[in-house]
Amino acid sequence: MPMPFNSSFQRSLWVALVLATGTVPARADGPAAFAVPTEVRAVLDAHCADCHGEHGKGNVDVTALDKLKLGDRLETLNKIQDQLFYKMMPPPKSEQPGEKDARMLGEWVRTELRRHKASKLDDRLPYPDAGNYVDHAALFDGSNREKAYTLARRWLVSPQIFEERVLDVFQLVGRERDQLRRSGFYGVTNPFLLPDNAGVRYYDLTPLDGSHLLVMLNNAEWIASKQLQAARLKAGYPKAAPADPKDKWVPKTTPAAFEVVVTKKTAPTDDEIQTAVQTQFGLVLQRKATDAELRQYLALTRDAIQVAGNAEGLRQMLKAVLLESEFVYRLEFGAGKPDDYGRVPLAPREAAYALAYALGDRGPDATLLKAAESGKLNTKADCEREVLRLLADTAYFAAPVDKSLGFLQPTTAPHPRLIRFFREFFGYSTAFKIFKDTPRAGNVYTNADRGSTGTAGMLIDEADRLLTDILAADKAVFETMLTTDRYYVFHPLDNDKGKKLVDNWRAAYEVLRHTDWKKNPEAVAKEHDAVIRKYLDPKGLPGKHKVNHDNSVLRFMSYFEATFGRGFTPFTVLPWAHGNRFRHAEIYNLGAMPGHGGKYEPGQTFDYHPVQPFAVPDRKGILTHPAWLVAFSANTASDPIRRGKWIREKLLAGVVPDVPITVDAKVPDDPHKTLRERVGEVTRSAACVKCHSRMNDLGYPLEQFDDFGRFRKLEKLEHPDSLVSAGNGKSTFDVYKTKPIDARGVLSGTGDPKLDGPVTDALDLIDRLAKSDRVRQSIIRHAFRFFLGRNELPSDSQTLIDADRAYLKSGGSFKAVVVSLLTSDSFIYRKQQGNR
Amino acid sequence: MTTRRDFMATAALGAAGLAPRTVWAKPTGGKPPMRFIFLHKGNGLFPSVMVPPSLSKDDAAKEAKKGPLNLDLGKHELPEWMKPLAAHTPDLTILQGLSGKMCTTGHHTWCSSLGVFKANERVSSIKWATVDFELAKMFPSPMEHIELACFPLGGGNARGTLNGIATGFSARGPQQPNYAFGSPKVAAQELFKSVSIDKSVQAQSQLGRAALEFAGRREADKVPSYASSIEAVRERDRKVNAMADAIRPHVPKLDAKYLADEMTTVDRQRGHVEVLLAALLSGLTNVVAFTVDELGHEYTGLAGLETEKVNLHDVGHGKGLGKLTADEVRFAVRRQHMTLVDAIAARLKKAPEVDGTVFDNTMIFYFPDNGETHHSHGTEYPFVVLSGKNAKLNIRGKYIRLPNYGDAGHKTLGNWYTTLLNAHGNPIKHYGDPDPGLARFGLDQTGSIKQFLG
Repeated sequence: MPMPFNSSFQRSLWVALVLATGTVPARADGPAAFAVPTEVRAVLDAHCADCHGEHGKGNVDVTALDKLKLGDRLETLNKIQDQLFYKMMPPPKSEQPGEKDARMLGEWVRTELRRHKASKLDDRLPYPDAGNYVDHAALFDGSNREKAYTLARRWLVSPQIFEERVLDVFQLVGRERDQLRRSGFYGVTNPFLLPDNAGVRYYDLTPLDGSHLLVMLNNAEWIASKQLQAARLKAGYPKAAPADPKDKWVPKTTPAAFEVVVTKKTAPTDDEIQTAVQTQFGLVLQRKATDAELRQYLALTRDAIQVAGNAEGLRQMLKAVLLESEFVYRLEFGAGKPDDYGRVPLAPREAAYALAYALGDRGPDATLLKAAESGKLNTKADCEREVLRLLADTAYFAAPVDKSLGFLQPTTAPHPRLIRFFREFFGYSTAFKIFKDTPRAGNVYTNADRGSTGTAGMLIDEADRLLTDILAADKAVFETMLTTDRYYVFHPLDNDKGKKLVDNWRAAYEVLRHTDWKKNPEAVAKEHDAVIRKYLDPKGLPGKHKVNHDNSVLRFMSYFEATFGRGFTPFTVLPWAHGNRFRHAEIYNLGAMPGHGGKYEPGQTFDYHPVQPFAVPDRKGILTHPAWLVAFSANTASDPIRRGKWIREKLLAGVVPDVPITVDAKVPDDPHKTLRERVGEVTRSAACVKCHSRMNDLGYPLEQFDDFGRFRKLEKLEHPDSLVSAGNGKSTFDVYKTKPIDARGVLSGTGDPKLDGPVTDALDLIDRLAKSDRVRQSIIRHAFRFFLGRNELPSDSQTLIDADRAYLKSGGSFKAVVVSLLTSDSFIYRKQQGNR
Repeated sequence: MTTRRDFMATAALGAAGLAPRTVWAKPTGGKPPMRFIFLHKGNGLFPSVMVPPSLSKDDAAKEAKKGPLNLDLGKHELPEWMKPLAAHTPDLTILQGLSGKMCTTGHHTWCSSLGVFKANERVSSIKWATVDFELAKMFPSPMEHIELACFPLGGGNARGTLNGIATGFSARGPQQPNYAFGSPKVAAQELFKSVSIDKSVQAQSQLGRAALEFAGRREADKVPSYASSIEAVRERDRKVNAMADAIRPHVPKLDAKYLADEMTTVDRQRGHVEVLLAALLSGLTNVVAFTVDELGHEYTGLAGLETEKVNLHDVGHGKGLGKLTADEVRFAVRRQHMTLVDAIAARLKKAPEVDGTVFDNTMIFYFPDNGETHHSHGTEYPFVVLSGKNAKLNIRGKYIRLPNYGDAGHKTLGNWYTTLLNAHGNPIKHYGDPDPGLARFGLDQTGSIKQFLG
């Protein structure tokens, strides 16, 4: 069955837009000669024609619509529609049309465009960027009493689900599954990619197409070969081993049904082939083949065996099942008799998969499948029971949050998908794609490179840890994420181990500091061997080191003197340790790392905290976390516009129009002005300020943090004409003139007069945002999109209100939000296309 | 293992098949397509060895300071290692001064030098299609693009077995690495299997066709977009099969030594050149990327070092071999590469096409994958370019040194590839990432190199 993708979704959102724009649709007329109705013309003449008459601004002439060719007219109507939708016209200082007139004009424009299927706004509606187009107040004021549903759908699996499905094909469990989850399969390429912009990205919009097919063909070849490899080796087939010695992994066994066919000297029987087909259906599609499917696959396999023999013929069948679209789709059609609203609930098996994929990347566990098969997954209460059970299960879905974080041992979470929501929402995980001129940060920052995601990767991991902790506590989750002053900054050892190590070091230092370790380290090493073995190294230490990376009393004590000796705590990874790349404490304004390059400079030294997270001054939450600040920066400067846009769209559920294609604005260079001043200048014009007024004042407060995420009071005017002294880029660095940071801004759009208004700086802005109902609700809207895979509709109003209430009632539990969403009508019920 | 072989065959066919185009290499309106051949080497390419020895004192002084130069190569002597290209001097360009600090540099660079972004071994680091694939899109062909490689045996860049099919240096699109053929034998088998007389190859083709037909039938009523894609691949298969008569005369007739599992690096390169030429001349592709060597490759068969196994990494660290210094080994390697470039150009010049030869519609690029030296920083990416007369760049017969890094008028790899793309019909404003380090000089990094666009 072809799936209803955009068109039906657009119809649903049309209702939504009505609420957002304050208009209602008129009945679409049949094809007729174009004429602007008198009452519409009156509104256009009264409110638009002064500026947009003949030769009007923006090449828009509202007085000549009926003289334009169809294409030109539709283009003009699309411009008018955008201006009305975004509430950008008439300009704020002009006389505004009354509500009735505005509604009528919007209704007419929309009808005209839809008559020709030419509404560009409609085209955008299903996509993530248009999630906020539905009026926020209308979603949460309770006025909409519609029964929620989701359209029946095929939904392509996510990249992570795809990986798990391949692991399932090989029936891998335990350590082998964990290892291959991390390393991936040599011959399998993930055909599914998600865009890496901030915001929820995994929607049900992408169809399976040619680009996927090419990769699936390749994958099917490899997987099918591997499935048979053990049996082929057993049967003594020549060339059973892969031609590429790097392709080392071999499944320990071949499923018995396949082995029978491969090892048989004569042609297999129909029963043997059918058993093999059923086995492959079970492994790949996780269901039994129907009788019709069995007949088709039997014929295919027979023919292939006749051409190429048992093993190769069987392999063709395995490939064919792997090429079934069902392998890469989630099916959510619903089943049963429609209710009074035309909705059917998910079939129990569908519900089992939907719940499992909402909470993790693996399919349902045995308990969930059993519940589905035994009639215990039919009601909301059943779903709630299973969701609560799976949320309490810390093992089944446990996996690294992001296995691609370079050389780090990435943070592992019991439900990485929950962390992934916040990662996508905040968008900090793209930080490693921003490349920096590292001498600008005194070379404490490393770009992503071979084998590592660089400093950004470490920052991302530190943000992941923070979110993992907050989710584990599960109290006031949103507020804490926005306002916590506690961060992770280098945490290779857990709290207990780190503290114990530092305590031991301190004990050793207290003894050895009174010795002659500087002049006679060898003698000290001998004399205090017992102390050294007890606190520093059970094997003992030489007085002096001989080669790089060696430990010695001299090295330890030099390090301790520069840390303990100055009242600081040393970092638990030794500065001379091979591969020590921990240098970015300065990014958090926590001082320089002592001992880097063997140097112990006087001055501010990083005072390490073995017990983390710990309070870091001048910061509040994720928006001041360096990972977020780097992700929302340019290569060589901060980016107040993007930072402001993110706050407007993600926290305030606001809408910022797309950049017009005619705009190629660049922030001008000026050796005497800060970035804020230059951005202000270039966005001041009437054409720019309409959009930038929604972003700039929210982004300016974050100018307290530069593009490496460093807190600052002064901005370096990085222009050749402002250069005070040039550095060599290695040990000395360019010095520029500076100007004070102006971190004032204006918060607007919370709908709360106590919160809206001027803000003094970033921390003031964040405090107010964290108190806003609208911010909380905006996060819940995004969570809805994440778990439902689509934008919200007005009919989802009750689902959102329930989730919001669940959050408040539970004292800010995100798990309560998840339970609410996954037991909502929006999640459980499906409607067929056209049945609305 | 057949995975990547089959991928190469089906993917290449499919990629072309899925695009809405029907014109292949053979010109339909009398205007032949452009061909692009990218040969890249490992271990860096010293800018100093690119300089004609016959520069005037003034020009030599400018060269020493890396000042801009634009000289008529016809009035100069080529560097000794470049002498195999002497007959092609009117078509030759020595291009110096491009920087590529936005690329991953050092030992290994992956897709960086063709994609102008920081690539590494993670697929996620591939930001977009490399420039060769962008060019291939503009001059469609059944295979779209082929990649050949003398794979390294250890570490770093694209790697596989010498004779396998593995991840190459090019990228088809974001997070989509391309695959390269490691041996001439495998490449010839896979690229020309539609006209194979080998029974087992024919059987595999028959099974592949049956599987696709089956899949297409199964999906027709379920996911039409998927079924259409399957049908597009089948249709492309049919068309390639229909081209059999055109392809058959160009099937490379490789000497036995090129078909062996064991062969010298030099033979491997020559064998690849035969495949490369056959693929181009048969119309299977218009774009070829060829890794002539890589840092982790153990070189064998070099002139004067026939019995030696040359470790290029050691050479990069200044280690000589026998009586040869490291620089002399580097000379031998480069000279060998020039014989390959000469072989390609000479053969294409003999292949008639419309009013001229195939070479008239060809550009050949020879460059280092990692910049100026073994442990490179990307401050320079020297290029040797051969251009046919229909190439749309005003660079033939010249020694060009662009302004130095940070100087007014300085250009990057991104500017260079933007120029290539713009000149051949892709209006992209700028190809590649910017270099954050150049920002401090206040230079505009975007766009083409205007003086090259004749």
